[in-house]
Amino acid sequence: MRPILPASLLLLLLLPLAALAEPRFDDPPTDSRDGGFTLEWNAEGAVELERASGPDFDDARVIYRGGDTSSVISGLPDGEYRFRLRAEGADDWADEARVEVAHHSLARAFGFFALGGAVFLVLIVAILRGRPRD
Amino acid sequence: MTGLDAPILPTSIAWGLLIAFSILWVLLGWWLGRRNRTAEDHMLAGRNVGLALATATAMATWVTANTTMTAPQLALQLGVWGMLGYSLGALGLILFAPLARRIRELMPGGFTSGDFIRLRFGTFTWRVFLVVSLIYAFGWLVSMAMAGGVLINALAGIDYRVGMSVILTVCVIYTLLGGLRAVIGTDFIQTIIIIAGAAFIAWLTIDRVGFEAIHFNLMEERPELLSLLFPAAIMFLFNNLLFGVGEIFHSNVWWSRAFAFGRNVGFRAYLLGGLLWLPIPIVAGFVALATPALGINVPAADMVGPLVAAEVLGLTGAIVVFIVVFAALASSLDSLLAATSDLVTRDIYRGHIRPQASEQSQFRATKVIVVLLGLLTWLAASYRGELPIIGSLAELLYFTGAFVASAIWPIVAGLYWRRANPHGAAWSMILGSGIGLASYFLIGFYVAALVGAAVSLAVMVLSTWLAPRSFDWDRLSRDASTEEVRTA
Repeated sequence: MRPILPASLLLLLLLPLAALAEPRFDDPPTDSRDGGFTLEWNAEGAVELERASGPDFDDARVIYRGGDTSSVISGLPDGEYRFRLRAEGADDWADEARVEVAHHSLARAFGFFALGGAVFLVLIVAILRGRPRD
Repeated sequence: MTGLDAPILPTSIAWGLLIAFSILWVLLGWWLGRRNRTAEDHMLAGRNVGLALATATAMATWVTANTTMTAPQLALQLGVWGMLGYSLGALGLILFAPLARRIRELMPGGFTSGDFIRLRFGTFTWRVFLVVSLIYAFGWLVSMAMAGGVLINALAGIDYRVGMSVILTVCVIYTLLGGLRAVIGTDFIQTIIIIAGAAFIAWLTIDRVGFEAIHFNLMEERPELLSLLFPAAIMFLFNNLLFGVGEIFHSNVWWSRAFAFGRNVGFRAYLLGGLLWLPIPIVAGFVALATPALGINVPAADMVGPLVAAEVLGLTGAIVVFIVVFAALASSLDSLLAATSDLVTRDIYRGHIRPQASEQSQFRATKVIVVLLGLLTWLAASYRGELPIIGSLAELLYFTGAFVASAIWPIVAGLYWRRANPHGAAWSMILGSGIGLASYFLIGFYVAALVGAAVSLAVMVLSTWLAPRSFDWDRLSRDASTEEVRTA
């Protein structure tokens, strides 16, 4: 029994270090209005990042493997997206993030478009008149 | 800082390029500016710049770090509309063509955009304008210094602060040595490098990756980037157009050129410069759409351009990108340093601190101010990613959008509407900036300029309609000349 005790103590001491070494998302976003965001993580080596559209990760696909510590995601349609992260070669996933993409409504988008168009038209008219207005 | 694991360009090559081009720009600056004797020589290149140099400087100055690095970033974030929307910035140059002619007619002896606002609208509006103008100029300076640091870090792994400091120092030195003459001369060479480099990279990207692969992978991984009904991108279109118009209409970078170009040159130079600039963001931005096809990870949105070029072209690509972006950075940083130091010299130093300053003391002050501006820019750019608004290039740039777009109407009304209300001009900038900034935080970076311009237009029209104030156009040239005689 005796040799087990120091070994257990050593294991207990090393556990927090092992936990620290596991990659973790750094303050991931929870929602996006333009289908894009940046995922950042803390890791001590290469990682594997996967994306899926549901909590069970049925359709998961690897979107990055390597030593970078962030990744720009963009061009996603409306929906709920799940991301998970692990050290490259590890069996278990270390961290997960969930991001809800809900684009601005088209009514709002075209409202701003019309406003911009109107301002631009007035500008063109003001300049093309090209003479002092009395 | 960039989230990138390994550099693409060997450090020794990067340092070699950095040193070689730094020496080239500084020597050119010294050579071009060796005949400058007065503040007017230094600030306005003798007021006789011809069409070829004028067109090149208009175009090269507008091809900034923002064009070569933010255009790909916007293509990556907002897709096809982001790329095309960015190219609408050309309309700022094109629409400034008639304004340049009118500015030259109204104020043949003018120095800065601040001079015009002061003489046209009085002291209060002038001070509001100076705040707006300096916030923008400083934001642009910092964004370009940041771009330099990001580029060197992304490509060569050289520390961000070291790269940023070197680029900034080189631009300060040659602007100091040569003034506007050096700025315009180097712009000409930098234009040729930028056009050739950007076209080379885009052509090789299409050749090596192919349109089909680009389209297929975008549809698979980032489908909204190809959607013509991408809401944020639709909102962005006119926002970017009005942002570009606001940047050019109010900024002393463009006014100082309007004063410096020879008679009848300004209109044609700005028109041609705008038309030549139009395809550049499309060419530069397009490469970002190849990201999914290439399977590369983009750790920070503003690094996508250099990363794709380096991935497609390897070492040659990294070298070409390095040279192109260094040229683009230098051509804009120097212009902005020169024009902002002119504005500070004329409108702060002479306008507020020493109204009786002689021509020689203004000449000296311009040089001290270039150095101080360089130092302040360096300090702010050192905090990239650590302060809320100094995040990515696009975020910082579009933060200033609310300010500049709100200055469009005071400038247009000031030049064309005889009865424009002076206080209305000030309040159109204050309310336009305030409400534009609120929309930046409440809705997104892609609407700040649009909202600022719309509010500013409403205030300008209402105030002029309710309380018109008549103005004698001749006062502009008369009062400007009287001030110059008094100084001399």
